[in-house]
Amino acid sequence: MHVQTGYGCKMAELTQNEKRLLAVLETEKKADAPHLAGLLEASPEAVVQWAHLAQDKGFVSVERIVLKEFAYTDEGIRYAKNGLPETQLLRFILPGTQLADLQKHEAFRIGFGQLRKKGLVKVEGAAVTKIHGASTDADESALKNPSAADPKTKELIKRGILQECETVRYAVSITPEGLALTKKGLDLREETGTLTRDQILSGSWKTANLRHYDVSKLPKKAYPGKIHPYERIIAEMREILLEMGFEELYGDIVQQCFWNFDALFQPQDHPAREMQDTFYLRETIPLPPGYEKVKSMHLSGGDTSSTGWGGVWKEEKAEQCVLRTHTTSLSIQHLAQNRKPPVKAFAVGRVYRRETIDTTHLAEFEQLEGIVMDEDVTFGNLLGILREFYNRMGFTSVRFKPSYYPYTEPSLDAEVYIEGIGWIEMGGAGVFREEVTAPLGITCPVLAWGLGVSRIAMLRLGLKDLRLLHKSDVAFLRETPSLRKSKGGI
Amino acid sequence: MAVITLPYKYLERLTRTDRKTILEKIPLIGSDVERTEEDHADVEFFPDRPDLFSPEGVARAMRGYLGIETGLPTYPVKPSGISFTVDPKLASIRPVLGAAVIRGIKFDDESIQSIMSLQESLHWAVGRGRSKVAIGIHDMDTVKPPFRYIASPRNRKFVPLDYTEEMTMDEILEKHPKGRDYAKIVRDFALFPLIVDRDDHVLSFPPIINGERTRVTIDTKNILLDTTGTDKRAVGFAVNIICTAMAEAGATIESVEIGGMQTPTLAPAERVVSVKECSRLLGVSLTAASMAELLRKMRFGAEPEGADTVKVQVPCYRADIMHDWDLFEDVAIAYGYDRLESHPPRTFTVGKAHPVQVNAALAREAFTGLGYLEVMPFTLTNEDVLYRQMRREETRGVLHVMHPISIENTVVRTELLPLLLEFLTLNRHRELPQRLFTVGDVVLDCRTHQQAAGVSTHPDADFSEAYASADAVLHELSVDYTVKESADPAFIDGRRGDIIVAGKTVGVFGEIHPAVLNAFDLEHSVAAFEFDLRAVPGYPAL
Repeated sequence: MHVQTGYGCKMAELTQNEKRLLAVLETEKKADAPHLAGLLEASPEAVVQWAHLAQDKGFVSVERIVLKEFAYTDEGIRYAKNGLPETQLLRFILPGTQLADLQKHEAFRIGFGQLRKKGLVKVEGAAVTKIHGASTDADESALKNPSAADPKTKELIKRGILQECETVRYAVSITPEGLALTKKGLDLREETGTLTRDQILSGSWKTANLRHYDVSKLPKKAYPGKIHPYERIIAEMREILLEMGFEELYGDIVQQCFWNFDALFQPQDHPAREMQDTFYLRETIPLPPGYEKVKSMHLSGGDTSSTGWGGVWKEEKAEQCVLRTHTTSLSIQHLAQNRKPPVKAFAVGRVYRRETIDTTHLAEFEQLEGIVMDEDVTFGNLLGILREFYNRMGFTSVRFKPSYYPYTEPSLDAEVYIEGIGWIEMGGAGVFREEVTAPLGITCPVLAWGLGVSRIAMLRLGLKDLRLLHKSDVAFLRETPSLRKSKGGI
Repeated sequence: MAVITLPYKYLERLTRTDRKTILEKIPLIGSDVERTEEDHADVEFFPDRPDLFSPEGVARAMRGYLGIETGLPTYPVKPSGISFTVDPKLASIRPVLGAAVIRGIKFDDESIQSIMSLQESLHWAVGRGRSKVAIGIHDMDTVKPPFRYIASPRNRKFVPLDYTEEMTMDEILEKHPKGRDYAKIVRDFALFPLIVDRDDHVLSFPPIINGERTRVTIDTKNILLDTTGTDKRAVGFAVNIICTAMAEAGATIESVEIGGMQTPTLAPAERVVSVKECSRLLGVSLTAASMAELLRKMRFGAEPEGADTVKVQVPCYRADIMHDWDLFEDVAIAYGYDRLESHPPRTFTVGKAHPVQVNAALAREAFTGLGYLEVMPFTLTNEDVLYRQMRREETRGVLHVMHPISIENTVVRTELLPLLLEFLTLNRHRELPQRLFTVGDVVLDCRTHQQAAGVSTHPDADFSEAYASADAVLHELSVDYTVKESADPAFIDGRRGDIIVAGKTVGVFGEIHPAVLNAFDLEHSVAAFEFDLRAVPGYPAL
């Protein structure tokens, strides 16, 4: 056990108390803790504590002595004074003593049984007589001077008259090192732990004996308040996009299917729109003015070179509300309201997919999405933006391959190279189809790209289970440093 | 996503090159190699390219991409002389029929495996689980033309595939495994679709099951393909994709007559596209000749027509070509994404953070200054946590999702505080004090806004701490507020205050009620507060 003071640093050098103990031992050499306690005007427990500390430094040695002792029980205390019940009876029995007289004796119940057991008395008719030489001296002696080796003592323990107890005693002796130290002289001045206002103002700090701390021991840890490591990654991405000249979007989690699917040219019978993939709500929102253009695009391709999807398009389906399945629903509404180029915007927000939750799948997760609308922006520009973004995130190798998204054409997937893992898919992108932009009156090309933020978080934070981002262990949050030792984006 | 099995030997024979070359380049036409085994590879293709859902289709595309055989593949079709009639009563049930005769299939071939799995993939990708398109494959020589596609009474009996006894169509929906799987597509109709031959033998009860009579066996030489559905274009593509894949495998295709029309024709569609438009979209400079060449590599017929246009013949199996840009994507793929010049756009723009996020960041700063640790709970939760455990009434405007994945995720959160208490439960074994906060979205009546909440738990957490912390955060966010006694049952009476801004309650703070602590299994007192960030100056009206 260490003496704890303030933040709990163990003292590097001898404390004042240890020094006082050594000073006493210089003359005593070796002594019991209670004796030393008397000399030092402290409790024996405190002395033992100081002695152990000094022992750690090699200046004293503490000897732990365990003593077995016997003590009387309440019953035993009475017998020690009056004699054992059988002794009392034995004294009472005189020639001619009747059993009936004996029965009146207060020690009869226990004593008579013992006498009979030991065979010290005989009962003949109504008379009780002692056997010749009957004596309980040996028992009395075991009671007065108990000894672990004496079977009589053991019997008295069994009878609940005596009890065995251990006492621990400490003997403290000074070591040659300790003696050498005392010979050099000890500084027994009063020690100062916390510097007081008074000491500072009065100048008495100049003579104060400031206690030294052990710098090798970390005190009780302090935990700063801080933002979540996942939020930090989101903040980093936001910062990069703001630096790249993007305007941030924020919007509703609940979207009508029209903005979540139909405006993005996702056919009404598309599998992603089914109940098993999307969280539907009972609520509906009336369609915005001009929705008919979207409808006609679905049915026949509107005024573009597109064929449309054909089939049927139902208003009721478009009015129904869902928990947004992507933040593209925000981008497309922003474009519908801002048709004049240039538009560069992004959003980071929670999106929802009706997935069975496990270590790598969540029903809700953060998605980051960006759009660029301008005259003459190209698919090549899209690759350029992605390369720039991923480079700034720390991923130096980026490559692209063909992909498919219902509302972009051409489409691509971006992959980044991570040392020790390989090529990892990081996000999808493409140019919004004309079927998406034309009905909203957008005439410039729109580059769009998105990525799953949690994937990067999982890699960077070394998580095996995505759920821990949202059901975090406080210890994990406390231990994860704010500054990441980055290595190629991870 | 469709994962297609590609047996190496078959694929090599069809592609006319080695497997290494094929596997190396296959991702570049838009796919993911899922796994490679000793004798085959499993490759995932995108749902917009059902023409790649067979080894024959993949080989056709790869021959083009690798330059082995480019340009439009042609498939001769001659009339079979067979005809179908379509019952007008099917108009509201399942009106569209497509059919073809496929001759000269060798059934010990991989081609049979391929046609079966192609049929399944098409049911999934084009057929929307057979509702939009369903495909039947029959041994042609077990039945006699002409065929009739009719709307039949439901008590009509026949022996369905894999059975030996006759069943009525109603019984099939009830007892046959396929009947049970797909019953919902036809159940509500008074009459059921049925295809029969000259002698009234049943070929198929689409989209449920074929008859046992026309079962395809190892001895089958000629196939009759029937494809029914609700969407003419989708049915047409399904027929074209199967027929051209079988033709690639060496079969000959014959058309049938349906309603006086010969079908399928397997003829290409035509599009005339602008070279300039394509160059501008992709950011590369193309000539009509170079663009035509790239398109031919993707198996289109393509010839320059003047300086700025290319006349394109789109193969009949390309279901994804709806718009000129779909062709431009193929130009980009043929060109190679990695060869495209990639630089960010040059227009000058200024970045701008959203005010909601700016405020949220300031709230985070205030909380962390007070020693609070941020957590990011889920937004989906349940009524027990949000209300019952909090001793609160259900908040008006809470949204219930219609088909929750579990009883733990039934509603979208309307408050944050209950979720913070859940966090304390989760972290009971961790060192105290614990001070946690969250800033995030809540949803009421379909509208999203942000709130902020904090909790502090340790043996001495009390009203004063809650008040002081709430005050500190509100002060940092310049919220002018007053306080009055609260009646929120989640807090202890006499130790709770409502935060009032402009006469409206925007938040609450205090000491959490012991019954709430019990409900969350917490052992120490909790000082807590939550408020609506719309009370912060500058929060935009959304």
